[in-house]
Amino acid sequence: MPLDPKDPPRQLGGELVIPVLAVAFTLYYFSSIWNSPWTAQVSAFMVGGILLLVCAMFFLRAILWLSRGQASLGVGNLFSIEDLRTGRIGLIATTVAFCVFIDQLGFTLTTFLFLALSMIILSKGKSPLLIVAISAVMALGGWAVFIWAFDTRFPRGWFEGVMQAVIANG
Amino acid sequence: MGDTATILTEVFFETISFWWVIVPTIFLGLIVGGIPGFSAANTIIILMPLTLSMSLETGLIFMVSLYCSARMGAGIPAILVNIPGTAGAAATPLDGYPMTKQGKGQQALAMTFVASSLGGLLTTIIALAAMPLLARVGFYMHSVEMIVVMLFGISLIASIAAQDMLKGLIAGFLGLMIGSIGTDVVYATPRGTFGFLELYDGVPLIPALVGLFAVSEAFMIIEKRLIITEDAQKAMARPSWHATFEGVGIAFKRWWHITWTSLIGLVIGVIPGAGASIASFVAYQQSRSFSKTPEKYGTGHPEGLIAPESANNGVTSGTLVPLLVLGIPGGATAAIMLVVMQFHGVSFGPSLFEESPKVGYGMFMAMAVSYFLMILTILPLSRYMSRVTTVPTIYLAPMIISFTLVGAFVPREYMFDMYLALAFGVLGYIARRTGYHVAAILIGVILGPLLERYFLWSLKKSDGDISILFSSTLGNILWVGLVLSLVVPIWLDMRRKKNAQKDQEEIPIQ
Repeated sequence: MPLDPKDPPRQLGGELVIPVLAVAFTLYYFSSIWNSPWTAQVSAFMVGGILLLVCAMFFLRAILWLSRGQASLGVGNLFSIEDLRTGRIGLIATTVAFCVFIDQLGFTLTTFLFLALSMIILSKGKSPLLIVAISAVMALGGWAVFIWAFDTRFPRGWFEGVMQAVIANG
Repeated sequence: MGDTATILTEVFFETISFWWVIVPTIFLGLIVGGIPGFSAANTIIILMPLTLSMSLETGLIFMVSLYCSARMGAGIPAILVNIPGTAGAAATPLDGYPMTKQGKGQQALAMTFVASSLGGLLTTIIALAAMPLLARVGFYMHSVEMIVVMLFGISLIASIAAQDMLKGLIAGFLGLMIGSIGTDVVYATPRGTFGFLELYDGVPLIPALVGLFAVSEAFMIIEKRLIITEDAQKAMARPSWHATFEGVGIAFKRWWHITWTSLIGLVIGVIPGAGASIASFVAYQQSRSFSKTPEKYGTGHPEGLIAPESANNGVTSGTLVPLLVLGIPGGATAAIMLVVMQFHGVSFGPSLFEESPKVGYGMFMAMAVSYFLMILTILPLSRYMSRVTTVPTIYLAPMIISFTLVGAFVPREYMFDMYLALAFGVLGYIARRTGYHVAAILIGVILGPLLERYFLWSLKKSDGDISILFSSTLGNILWVGLVLSLVVPIWLDMRRKKNAQKDQEEIPIQ
């Protein structure tokens, strides 16, 4: 692909992540079926074989561009200072925390904490009262619709337990 | 014939009198359809005690209305925030979301509502008229034919890959590899599961859908204050009914497109085991293949939105055909309907239309009336629904993440599925940032396991002889259709370019 010499070199580092993951996963997959019956192998070897071939072609193209100076191994398209500025790193961290704590704290409380914390991070601390109010309404609304009304098996913690006892005892 | 007409008229008026059940159920269906993890099937299971306590007619109308409206509801978040509510709406955001970003969310919703309702209504009438004929489709579609049907859907990867072929193919084949995680269908050998028992049944679709679309989208949208452009924001500041009517007009002008794509849905819906996701991908791909403007697909093209929505609503009536005529449920929701109807002492199968004709015709009539009432009740709401896009992303992104991640937990109730959705979210985020198409990955994840299953069944039947793929007449016709659908658009495109070049050469130089 001819690139305009005036353009900065294409940053290929980020673009290589998916093919590298694909190759690693395919090789792991092959290792898991190496001694399996042919029914477990046939389509995986076909699909995996094509995936390895396509990835190899991608790597060759990348090497070609790098050797011509048309691309660099920069990862600017994947990580940048914008990730910190926009609060994306904070949002990813709170999302991981949401998954970890929801099993212990239950849906309502974890959702409230997650919404409040992540909105405060994203708004850089502006309008905290409004954010707390929105988070409380959303979490309680979710509890009312999904747990109280529909009895959906969302993760439950002490808040759901207390509310269940309150409702059961009138 | 006269008896049937009398029964149909009676059933129609009886069904209409149940509007008080249908209208609230439509709104319930829109909500549960719009949240990943809350499909119509799950909701009917959750509300099973309520359904069983209803009379046969009420329960039947409730389930059918919920089924139809949930199918339509799945397209709403797909258009507005790039999050398909179910796998059946996975092709909807390809053109729906770009329309929203351009400030045409209201038009897109109106178009979807018309296409879904018309597609659903039309296929219901056709299914009713051609039931015995359609019921035979299931008999002729064996594993070999199903392989070709799957390939029709998977060939969409090639279209998506058109911008950067290598990246598109990597995304698609990575999706197919991920889709083949789990035990093989013949000897149940675990493959690529990383030792997780939760993956032995394969990669669950809802966590994949939630992660690749919802979570990764939420990580992306926070770069901007709103998900729509500044120009779109100005247009949205003056909401009017005009945009709704414009959307309705665009959809009605494409009535033929709605007709043939919904028929694709009907035929695929009739095949037990096939579903709305296959139908919508196949319809999108075929719509693109035979379009005069294929290059507009993926940029907010009305036909790219109409095709999958008509098709996935065409599936709803199709799934009822094998259920009613043969007693074989065509999907999860139809299977639950079977259980509820059996509880009421109704047995499905060839004798249904002789022993309880009102039940048989009643289900189709309930579907037709639901679609009719749906268009009347939902269309006016498109103006207000589209306002979701004016909510600042600092509020929208965390809400999307929390409610969709919990939605990933609901179907199987494994905490593992939430972590899996998060992992897919990170994969989707990396893919979006570096120019890989998440839809191509998802097509692989959805259709890959189905393709492998049919492929293995075929090979098992033939003792490993690959020539079985070309052993049936219908299969060979489908193979020719597949090749034509891939080759003809390329040929048409080349001819168009040649003609354009010729026209340019003929313009006299001033």
